[in-house]
Amino acid sequence: MGRSSSTKDAQALFHSLRSAYAATPVNLKIIDLYVGFAVFTALIQVVYMAIVGSFPFNSFLSGVLSCVGTAVLAVCLRIQVNKENKEFKDLPPERAFADFVLCNLVLHLVIMNFLG
Amino acid sequence: MSSMISSDLLKPFKLKTKQQELLIRVSILCLVYILAFITRLFSVLRYESMIHEFDPYFNYRTTLYLTQNGFYDFWNWFDSESWYPLGRIIGGTLYPGLMVTAALIYRLLHFLRFAVHIREVCVLTAPFFASNTTLVAYFFGKEIWDSGAGLVAAILIAVCPGYISRSVAGSYDNEGVAIFALLFTFYLFVKAVNTGSLAWGLASAFGYFYMVSAWGGYVFIINLIPLYVLVLLITGRYSMRLYVAYNCMYILGMLLAMQIRFVGFQHVQSGEHMAAMGVFFLMQVFYFLDWVKHMLSDTKLFQAFLKITVTFAVAVGAVALGVGMVSGYISPWTGRFYSLLDPTYAKDHIPIIASVSEHQPTAWSSFMFDFHILLFLFPAGLYFCFKRLSDATIFIVMYGLTSLYFAGVMVRLILVATPAVCLISAIAVSATVKNLTVLLRSKNKVVQTGSTKGTSSGKASSKASLDQSQPFQKNGAMALLFGAFYLLSKYATHCTWVTSEAYSSPSIVLAARGAHGNRVIFDDYREAYFWLRQNTPPDAKVMSWWDYGYQITAMGNRTVIVDNNTWNNTHIATVGRAMSSYEDEAYEIMRSLDVDYVLVVFGGVTGYSSDDINKFLWMVRIGGGVFPVIREPDYLVNGEYRVDKGAAPKMLNCLMYKLSYYRFGELVTEYGRPPGYDRARGVEIGNKDIKLEHLEEAFTTSNWIVRIYKVKPPNNRW
Amino acid sequence: MDKPNPLKIIWAQKQISIGLQPTFWPVSKLTETETPTDRRVLVLLDDFSLKSSHSIFFNSLKSRGFDLEFKLADDPTLSLRRYGQYLYDALILFSPSTERFGGSLDLTAVLDFVDSGHDLIIAVDASASDLIKNIATECGVDFDEDSSAMVIDHKSYAISGTEGDHTLIASDDFIQSDVILGKTKIKAPVIFKGIAHSVNAANNLVLKVLSASPSAYSANPTSELSSPPLLTGSAISLVSVVQARNNARIMITGSLDLFSNRLLRTAVQKAGSPDKYEKSGNEQFVTEISKWVFHERGHLKAVNLKHHKVGETDEPAIYRIKDDLKFSVEIYEWSGESWEPYVADDVQVQFYMMSPYVLKTLSTDGKGLYHASFKVPDVYGVFQFKVDYLRLGYTSLSLSKQIPVRPFRHNEYERFITTAFPYYGASFTTMAGFFIFSILYLYNK
Repeated sequence: MGRSSSTKDAQALFHSLRSAYAATPVNLKIIDLYVGFAVFTALIQVVYMAIVGSFPFNSFLSGVLSCVGTAVLAVCLRIQVNKENKEFKDLPPERAFADFVLCNLVLHLVIMNFLG
Repeated sequence: MSSMISSDLLKPFKLKTKQQELLIRVSILCLVYILAFITRLFSVLRYESMIHEFDPYFNYRTTLYLTQNGFYDFWNWFDSESWYPLGRIIGGTLYPGLMVTAALIYRLLHFLRFAVHIREVCVLTAPFFASNTTLVAYFFGKEIWDSGAGLVAAILIAVCPGYISRSVAGSYDNEGVAIFALLFTFYLFVKAVNTGSLAWGLASAFGYFYMVSAWGGYVFIINLIPLYVLVLLITGRYSMRLYVAYNCMYILGMLLAMQIRFVGFQHVQSGEHMAAMGVFFLMQVFYFLDWVKHMLSDTKLFQAFLKITVTFAVAVGAVALGVGMVSGYISPWTGRFYSLLDPTYAKDHIPIIASVSEHQPTAWSSFMFDFHILLFLFPAGLYFCFKRLSDATIFIVMYGLTSLYFAGVMVRLILVATPAVCLISAIAVSATVKNLTVLLRSKNKVVQTGSTKGTSSGKASSKASLDQSQPFQKNGAMALLFGAFYLLSKYATHCTWVTSEAYSSPSIVLAARGAHGNRVIFDDYREAYFWLRQNTPPDAKVMSWWDYGYQITAMGNRTVIVDNNTWNNTHIATVGRAMSSYEDEAYEIMRSLDVDYVLVVFGGVTGYSSDDINKFLWMVRIGGGVFPVIREPDYLVNGEYRVDKGAAPKMLNCLMYKLSYYRFGELVTEYGRPPGYDRARGVEIGNKDIKLEHLEEAFTTSNWIVRIYKVKPPNNRW
Repeated sequence: MDKPNPLKIIWAQKQISIGLQPTFWPVSKLTETETPTDRRVLVLLDDFSLKSSHSIFFNSLKSRGFDLEFKLADDPTLSLRRYGQYLYDALILFSPSTERFGGSLDLTAVLDFVDSGHDLIIAVDASASDLIKNIATECGVDFDEDSSAMVIDHKSYAISGTEGDHTLIASDDFIQSDVILGKTKIKAPVIFKGIAHSVNAANNLVLKVLSASPSAYSANPTSELSSPPLLTGSAISLVSVVQARNNARIMITGSLDLFSNRLLRTAVQKAGSPDKYEKSGNEQFVTEISKWVFHERGHLKAVNLKHHKVGETDEPAIYRIKDDLKFSVEIYEWSGESWEPYVADDVQVQFYMMSPYVLKTLSTDGKGLYHASFKVPDVYGVFQFKVDYLRLGYTSLSLSKQIPVRPFRHNEYERFITTAFPYYGASFTTMAGFFIFSILYLYNK
């Protein structure tokens, strides 16, 4: 009985999450897709490192951190652009995107230097 | 008529209140900027523009190399002149921020056609950055409290002895630039948390990068900020802005920091940096859960989801941490930082760290000496901060408390606590003075609005209303205000006196008062180093205790065996063993290291107490830590360290004793005392008839402070 | 002294070429153009009768081109130096009973003479004075303290008609060295009559060239033995040589008669052996040994120590780890008239930093050039090229040249590492993703 109730709970959880998520605007969904892609790439690299070993550690770190960095910066952008966040209602979305681009520029420059 | 003319003449100069305020603020800041610079110039005026102490000489030498050979050679520099014969990869074992900063200033000045020598730039870098720190303190105070507090903070930090001690002109050391970088990083981070902007987060990441490039104390930042985030999360004061600020700073800051060769991969491998990573992952989980909660309408479902996720995340985190620590991949806390948590650790396990005088625990007198009135203004500021808690005040409170704890453990870290103490005290001063002046002014305003009730009722409500039950409030406020100004003026006097008396000595040039009150200068160190430079072969190797290594390499331009970097304990222990052994055994060790000259510092003639005989027990301890044949009790008599007739026989015949007191037994140092009276120890030495078999005296400076001996080659015929 | 001890630092030899470490002991004698053989020899005598009683020896020296100057030991005009220059290249002290030298000569002057690279022959007899004995002690050789003791050997004495107290002993216990005693084996034993000395076992600069037989002892021949003698057996050295660290050579013997005409010409038969020789081995012995002492034989010089990276010719100021380098040095031997290439197969070079990281035997081309090539080890630091060549009888060659070795620069590593390609790919993919994302995001309606 407990098992079926927990599965029913899980299913209910899953459904309500799906329905809530479907309500988000399209630009936020694009950002979420982007974040997912970055995290996926990071996971692939970690798996590869586990198989092969971490020899050029700086390359590994730069690859993983570039993915993690893009994910994190995209999430920050999402937070700033999301109209439901009251704290950022004074922030024009263009400014948010400009900050995002600047941070990404710095991120990628540093990654290029660190890559080896 | 006249009033009209005067008002016509003054019309272009008449400023609105806002502009008047701006003018006052800007002029105050300019004066404070200049004040911070000139109060650090005592030693330049009294002696000359030279580099002080020991570590700055290394920094000067590297800066010189950087300006002469360019950045790529500097980044890859392998120095074969120190730590003979091991050499030292300087490019990979220093914090380049200070050198690059000085080189850039030098290049800029040359570009503007000011042909200054790099030494002048190095000498004045620290005061220049101290002035910049006052500006940052102003902005930081403005961010935390208001611009009044910022101004007071700027003034307090401009003259605070705790900061001056490591940033006088001539003290060309990492801390001079690092404290500016520290405060700047903290200001940018607080600004990022307050605004939630990615741009400020990026700026704070760059500030952190500058700090990492400047000083090893960056570990404080990378542990304080996660601690602050954790406190905010726990107390429920978290917000989206915090997420943006911390994540941007952590990821970009970590990436930038790993570009410094000396830091390398420590951000992902060292136990000291794991707190930041842990908080980073915690934040992701926390905000993800927050987002899910926001999306779900049903709290029950959410509770279930929460339980699953939290247990999963905690389990994964614990397993990862455990595996990392057990397998040794995550290195534990290094000795230097571990001794901050357990102050007794260094004395037992790492004598080199324990032997540095700056690493001793702080006495109350040091606190009073370095902080003066700030010591009791600090709790007052804490009270004000707690009254008006915000993200920024929580930060400054945490910074103040943690840095004061560490300042209590190690004297050197008073420097790190100084900005926090100044800022919090500034809050106290500013809030108190503001309240008092409002009290003073409100009485008059109440009298005025009493006559024009209608129009200014709005204004009256914003002023403080006087409590009619307490008479003499205005007088009390006036008296308190005068008291506050009196205290502040006393503070300024104390700070100037401390700077002048205690913190402006170059320690390479000693001064004393002669018999008639005239000032006597002992320039023996530089005399000895220049003798070395001019009278020894260019590839001569000099053995001395590690304190003098940097100076010998920089000024004497000769290869040394050990120097202040103290990275190789065995090498230092070998030198310590040589100094503590009998002359024959020491000769074997010196031959194996190709030593040509031995340099010792001796204060018996002048009464100089930081000489090698007073440091000798540390040589024994460090040597004995690696070579058990050297035992400390051999050199003591009943646990007492003596150099007179009752001294231990091993002490009377060890190499250090012989080299310090060679021919000293014939010298009369003080009127009325027998020859061979050691003025630094206050006793007559025990062994006056010293014969050296394998060394010969090469040079003794005019006040016998530095003595140089030449190692003789082995006997020709046997 | 047979095997080189890489951890012991020996002093540089006499002839030094430019670029090597300077010596500490003054080398006043030699430049590239001069010969190492001594020319001017000062002979100090107790009285001039020695000139005639040892004339064969002196004449043989003169015939080899030496300028001998005979002076009495207490001559008040004696001096070795004038205006800072040494007047002689070698000193022969045949003045055993002199208590004090005349002129400006004394113990310190003689020792300074040796320490500045000049050679010395000391011969004493039973009348040896404290001064001469002290000179010998300073050179590492201890004469018997009992001034009346002589070497007595009842088993290997020289059979002669006149002396029956067995103080005239015959010995053939020579040191095995072609360099010191010449290629021709000395068949006849050497006759010796004089006092005993011993060498310090810990001193490895001194060699026993002629030792006494195991049955010898040092005692007063005229009186009865009251206690066992201190010096016995082959611990007694009859003739010793010392090669100092600056390659000055000293020969010390307890018998002045060893050089005398009488013993040089006499026939010898060792007691207990049937061989009877027409002539003793003394003449050959003293001739050969004086050739060695005066640097006519066994003198090496090493010049032109060079090293460079494979493919270049200049000597770099610093090497990098894992560089390939070539090392070469030229060693010549003085043949008596000219420098001949020295040929040996045991010259080694070390690449040394507190312990030898590389030890290679140098190969020679027969014309005196020794070379080797090796790879710089994977350790950075300040290394030295060390050539320590110590062979019995030859001058010690001790050369070292310091060179730092640096680690890789940041741009000297492999440019692209194959195992890291996924990481490169991921970084570039992320960059591309950023571009695409920003386009999509900005132009999304």
